[in-house]
Amino acid sequence: MSGAIAAEWVKARTVRSTWTCLLAGAVLTVLGAVTLGGGRATELVREGVTGARLPATEGVVSAMAFAQFALVALAMLTVTSEYSSGSIRGTLQAVPVRGRVLAAKALVVAPVLFAAGVVSGALAAVANHALLAMPVFGGFGTLEPGRTAGDLLRLGVFCALAGVLTVGVGAAVRSAAGTLSVVFMLMMGLPLLLMMTGSQAAVELATRLPLFAGLAFMGSESNLTGGPIPYPAWQGLAWLVAWAALALAAGHAVLRRRDA
Amino acid sequence: MINLANLTKRYGDRLAVDDLTLSIRPGAVTGFLGPNGAGKSTTMRMILGLDRPTSGTALVCGRPYHEIERPLRTVGALLDARAVHPGRSVRGHLLALARSNGIPARRVAEVLERVGLAAAAGRRAGALSLGMSQRLGIAAALLGDPGVLMFDEPVNGLDPDGVRWVRNLMRSLAAEGRTVFVSSHLMSEMQLTADHLVVIGRGRLIADAPLADLLVATAVLVRSPHAGDLAVRLAAEGCEVVRRAENELVVTGAPVERIGDLAHEAGIRLHELSPREPSLEQAYQELTADSVEYRVSEGSAR
Ligand SMILES: Nc1ncnc2c1ncn2[C@@H]1O[C@H](COP(=O)(O)OP(=O)(O)O)[C@@H](O)[C@H]1O
Ligand SMILES: [Mg+2]
Repeated sequence: MSGAIAAEWVKARTVRSTWTCLLAGAVLTVLGAVTLGGGRATELVREGVTGARLPATEGVVSAMAFAQFALVALAMLTVTSEYSSGSIRGTLQAVPVRGRVLAAKALVVAPVLFAAGVVSGALAAVANHALLAMPVFGGFGTLEPGRTAGDLLRLGVFCALAGVLTVGVGAAVRSAAGTLSVVFMLMMGLPLLLMMTGSQAAVELATRLPLFAGLAFMGSESNLTGGPIPYPAWQGLAWLVAWAALALAAGHAVLRRRDA
Repeated sequence: MINLANLTKRYGDRLAVDDLTLSIRPGAVTGFLGPNGAGKSTTMRMILGLDRPTSGTALVCGRPYHEIERPLRTVGALLDARAVHPGRSVRGHLLALARSNGIPARRVAEVLERVGLAAAAGRRAGALSLGMSQRLGIAAALLGDPGVLMFDEPVNGLDPDGVRWVRNLMRSLAAEGRTVFVSSHLMSEMQLTADHLVVIGRGRLIADAPLADLLVATAVLVRSPHAGDLAVRLAAEGCEVVRRAENELVVTGAPVERIGDLAHEAGIRLHELSPREPSLEQAYQELTADSVEYRVSEGSAR
C-alpha cells in the first residue's frame, strides 16, 4: 500500500497539469474572495454603516465554491488521464488489487487538496485583509487568528473531500468530460436547480448535496443558499463524507467489474 | 511459467479467445503467433488480470496475477508502448512504477541504460518516436528484474537495428532461464526469435510445438538420378516420401540438412535439394488459412 501511494505521488508531481490546477485554484480563490469581500465592504460603506467588522476570510468560502473546480480538475486528472492515455493498464499491472489503486489515489489527492485549500484560502485572506483595511473600503477588516485558522482548516477539509469524491466519480465514469459533468452537477448544478424550484422537498434535498453540505460545514452565511442551512455544521461534514464515500464505492465497483 | 486452462473471453457475441489450454515454459522464447484479431492481446491482458476471463483460468507461477505481491518483480510486460501519460518524463514514468513495487530508484537508470534511452530520461514520453516508446515499454518490463516476460508485438515501429536488438534481448532473457512470451503476426519474425511456437487463429489454438517440429512439417523437394534408392532410405528414417517423377521426390518429416546428410552417407548424388516453402510463412498461412477473420477475396483485391 505504501508503494502504491508513493507511486501516485510521483505520478501527480511529474505532470504539469497538477501544478497548473493548483495555481489556477489559488488565483481563482484570491480573485473571488477580494471581489466578494470588497463588494460587501462597498455595500456597507454605501449604506453609511460605520464600525462594521469584516473577517479576513469574508467571501473566501463562497469564492472556493467556484474555485474548487480547478482543484476538482486536478483530482479528476489523476484518474481520467490514466484512461485517456491507456496508462491505467500499466498502473493495474503494478498494483493489481483495484481497491488499493483507488485508495492510493484518494490518499494522495486528499492531502494535496487539503494543503491547496488552506494555502489558497490563506492567500485570499491576506489579500482580502489588506483590501478591507483600506479606508475606501471602510477599514472594516479584522483579523482574528483563531477564527481565521479554523476557517482555513475547514476550507482544506472541504477541498480534500471534494477531491476524494472526484476520484471516485472518475473511476466510475472514466472519461474527463463525463467526470466533470457529474461532479459539476453534484457540486453546483443540481443544488442550484433544486433551490430554484423552491419546493420544500427540493430544497431539503439540495441542502444535503455536497455543495450546501460543504457550505454548512464551513459556516458560510453565503447568499448562495438563499437562507440558513437547516442543520448544524457537523452534519454538513457528515453529508460531505457520505458523498465522498459513496463516490469511492461506486468507483471501486466499476474498477473491479469492468475490464481495464 | 504461465499456465492457461480453458481460457475463454467473450466480448458481447464475439468470441475473442476460445478455450485456450497451454503452458509457457521458462528458459525459452515462446512465440505467440496469429493473424490480427486472433486474440493474442486479449490473452495477454487476461494473463495480467486486466481483462476478466469469461471462463477458465490464467496462472503465473501458479497464482492468479492479482494474488502476486509486488508483481513487477515477477512479471514484466509490454502491451502497448504508447500507453504512457504523454506529459510525464521518461524517468518519472519509470520511477512511479518502481515506487509502486518497492524497486530501488537506481534500477530506473539501469534499465534506461540497458534499452539505450539514458540520454532521453528527461524527455516527455509523448515526444518519443514509436521506436523509442517501444524501448521505454521494454525498460518498464525489465524494471523489476522479473522471471516472466511478456511482449505484445514488440518490434512494431522499430528500425532494422532495433528489431535485431529486440531479438537478441529476447534470446538472452530466455538464456538466463526466464519465461519469455512474445506475440507477433509475422511468422518470419518468430522464425528468427522463438524456440517454441503457439499459433492461434480466431481465438483457438492451432499449434503448440517446438519451432523445429513445425520446420520439419515443411516439405522438401529432392531430385536425384537415384531417387528410388534414396526414397527407401528416407522411408526407413521415418520420413514420408512421395515419388513425383522418375527422379523427383517430395519428402516431409526431416529438415533439409538431414536429408542432405543421409544422401551423402549413402553416396547418392543429388541434383536438387530445396524446401518447397522458402520459410514457415507458407506453413503458417496454411495453419491459419481458415481462421483469418477478414480475408480479401481474390476478385475484390484487384
Ligand atoms: N475490448 C474489446 N471489446 C470488444 N471486442 C474486443 C475487445 N478487445 C478485443 N476485441 C476483439 O477480440 C478479438 C481479438 O482481438 P485481439 O486480442 O486484439 O487480437 P490480436 O492481438 O491477436 O490482434 C478481435 O476480434 C477484437 O475485435
Ligand atoms: Mg494485438
